[in-house]
Amino acid sequence: MARTPNRSRQTRRLLAAMLEQPLAWRYGYELLKLTGLKSGTLYPALLRLCEQGLLEAQWRQADDPGKPPRHVYRLTRAGLAFAREQIVPAGEKAGVLLEAKA
Amino acid sequence: MSGGFSRVIARALMRHAARIMPAREMDWGAAMQNELEAIADDRVALHWAAGCLLAGYGQRANDMLQTWYVRLGVAGVIALLACREFFAPLLIFAYRMHDLGLAHFLGLRTAGDDYRRLIPVMDATPSWLPVLWVAAGLLFLIALWRMLRRSEGSVLLFFLAFALDLIGAVAAKSIEARAGVVVTPNILVRAGGEILMLSTGFLLWRMTRKGVRPVS
Repeated sequence: MARTPNRSRQTRRLLAAMLEQPLAWRYGYELLKLTGLKSGTLYPALLRLCEQGLLEAQWRQADDPGKPPRHVYRLTRAGLAFAREQIVPAGEKAGVLLEAKA
Repeated sequence: MSGGFSRVIARALMRHAARIMPAREMDWGAAMQNELEAIADDRVALHWAAGCLLAGYGQRANDMLQTWYVRLGVAGVIALLACREFFAPLLIFAYRMHDLGLAHFLGLRTAGDDYRRLIPVMDATPSWLPVLWVAAGLLFLIALWRMLRRSEGSVLLFFLAFALDLIGAVAAKSIEARAGVVVTPNILVRAGGEILMLSTGFLLWRMTRKGVRPVS
């Protein structure tokens, strides 16, 4: 089956959050606070977007010594184009989507 | 951050969540687990862990749905549902064509073990109803074929067949009432068929959802 990017409201909310600062690397917990999504929704969405090549993830050493390394996420070039295509034509400014946190 | 009870539970949940993630997503399990240590509030951490546990089970379930044995199982059930749709038309056809040997053979597989009990119902059944059942059976088979080929549209076809089956069931019920014969007296058997259809449809939807990666 051909894999097509998910266009659910949760995914769009996540993309909107990533679009706020498209070049910034974000932590999972930070994205959870930004989007208001539950971790059970956030991680499958992140995983799917990474598999689709729309997000990139990498490990980053924690700032506090003794803490384990953390995953950070950023939109890829394709992800950025997809996010803009998803968020802007629908008339949904990133802020509007993020304000509608569940 | 503390080592309170909530935190202990959260860590235990996270360990479990990381363990149940599919093998190729172990990295993600570790990512979720490590993120927990960055959450200062124990209650938030517990919520985080509970969500991650659900995510872990979800990923594992998605993975299992793509295995050949689950696909084969679902394919088997859909084939069975198709056969179930063909059964009544075949029995009615055999009876009306006076092929009593076949009618007797099929009758042994009905409640009461005798097709003659069903004669009033078969006489009262309009011709369009067996056609409807056959159409439902064919739609199940096409849905099955598309599922095996990993083509799109299998879920739609499946639920279209289900809708035809429901229409047929409602029509058959009124015919049974008029004829004064109950074809399947056991309500559990009747409800079981519909529940089996719905749960198979749900599994089919889950396994063919867009964005789910086939693994085998």
